[in-house]
Amino acid sequence: MKPLERYWFGDVALARPYLVLRFVLALLAFDTWLNMMPQGAKYGVGAFNVAHFPWFDGFVPSSSFYLGVLAFTGVLALSQALYRPHRIAIVLIAVGYTLGWSCSLLDSVPYHYLLSLYLVCFVFFPMLSARSAFSRSDRAPRGSVAAYVLFCVTTAIVYFYVAAWAAARGESYWLPMVCCVGYLLVSMQDRVELPALHVVAPMLVAAPLTFHLAAPQQGWLPLYMTGIALIVFAPTQWVHAFGRALTQPARRLVDERDEDEGGLDERASRVFYMSLIGLVVAPMVSMFVDLPGVKTGCSLTAIAMLVVMGRQLYFTPRWRPLWRVASLFGGCLALWITMSASNARFDYYREGALDADRRGDQEAAMMFREKADRYAP
Amino acid sequence: MASSDTEPPPPDPSGKARRWTGAFIAVFVLLQFVVPLTYLGREDAADERFTWRSFTEAAVPACETSAALERVGGEREAIALEKLIHRDWVDYVSQGRRAVVDAFLMKQCEADGVLQVELVNRCDDERGVREYTLRCGGERPHETTRTAAR
Repeated sequence: MKPLERYWFGDVALARPYLVLRFVLALLAFDTWLNMMPQGAKYGVGAFNVAHFPWFDGFVPSSSFYLGVLAFTGVLALSQALYRPHRIAIVLIAVGYTLGWSCSLLDSVPYHYLLSLYLVCFVFFPMLSARSAFSRSDRAPRGSVAAYVLFCVTTAIVYFYVAAWAAARGESYWLPMVCCVGYLLVSMQDRVELPALHVVAPMLVAAPLTFHLAAPQQGWLPLYMTGIALIVFAPTQWVHAFGRALTQPARRLVDERDEDEGGLDERASRVFYMSLIGLVVAPMVSMFVDLPGVKTGCSLTAIAMLVVMGRQLYFTPRWRPLWRVASLFGGCLALWITMSASNARFDYYREGALDADRRGDQEAAMMFREKADRYAP
Repeated sequence: MASSDTEPPPPDPSGKARRWTGAFIAVFVLLQFVVPLTYLGREDAADERFTWRSFTEAAVPACETSAALERVGGEREAIALEKLIHRDWVDYVSQGRRAVVDAFLMKQCEADGVLQVELVNRCDDERGVREYTLRCGGERPHETTRTAAR
């Protein structure tokens, strides 16, 4: 192999893409619910909108459209983080999330674009199960995952530009430049032929941690980047041991289920009916969320899950469809609990009331205020 | 076709797969390098989207904004921006964010009998006084800049 080919197609510990994918998806779900949804009342006001891209010209996203897209994206993302992800689902998350921020300049948070780039990389990640990413022994499974290297290079390019613009302004640029170099080198650390990197790479984690924790940054960017840095830079054995401990209950459950007794036909029909019932019932949880568009968003997630399961739903005698439906349930329940336990819903209605007051729209202001009072902390 | 549901462990890519993957990687990486550079050609310096110039939303000081429209009969009418659009859009307009100013003026032209729309941003900094005028039916608002009186 040529050096460039070796760089992109060389082995990485499978624990890293497994953990990075799930970490980002889980965080993205809560990020959309807690940080993006409260901004939803701004959308559609005065039928005015300017989108990030010209192909949205003339389209004015309403509040319910925006919240529906975010509910869909968040629930699907969390369900994929909870159970073995599916490529079609990752594509839908990437499309939904990008649509969510790009439909209006009202969302100009810089790192939302970065997350869209990450999601594009995730589409090409191997859809690993816990049992394939973590062996029972101390030996960490390895494989060629070019999309993971691309994920690291994408991050490096971001730091490169941060450093370049800082240099152009005459500011200090060495810290983002070290982050850039770190991310370019670190994807090679799992290759046995490069023992020197095993020593250097984990130390380089200090750069992104310092960069994101020392300076104030918008939203949950420091959370994302700190978590990603810890997974990407940590020594192979640490990542493997952490992932093994994290996935142990799930792996044990799957192992036990696989040993279940019972005829295949009988089990297949049971799984089929239970999955169908689950797909219908799960989105109903969203009725308690009481935000416009969320019911539609969650129903679309159930339809997406049906597409994802496809033939598996009625052809497989295994329990896999049930786990998928359970993960959908988990996503819908998490959305409901998050909205009930946080101020997100209250913030949405309060912002709506304040804006309607400013514009002199008394009817809308009253409706928003009533709801804000109901959900006041 | 292999199932996309699980691929444990991922097989080593074949020569053809490597070529396709390589082509995709080249395009994706190139795009990421090119997109931030488009900032250098943007007429609106406040527009820092997709550039990684900052990890926080740019805090551009707002200016005092007033807007008015001229009807076919010749009468002028002041526009209360806060009554029409969300506060965030008003902020964009008063910062002189060109895409939003243009869209706002065009939106006002959609009403019946409007001949011309004007928007004035009075800033206390080097941006000075900026006037945007759109003759309804015209293509793009005309911008005039005057240095602020100190």
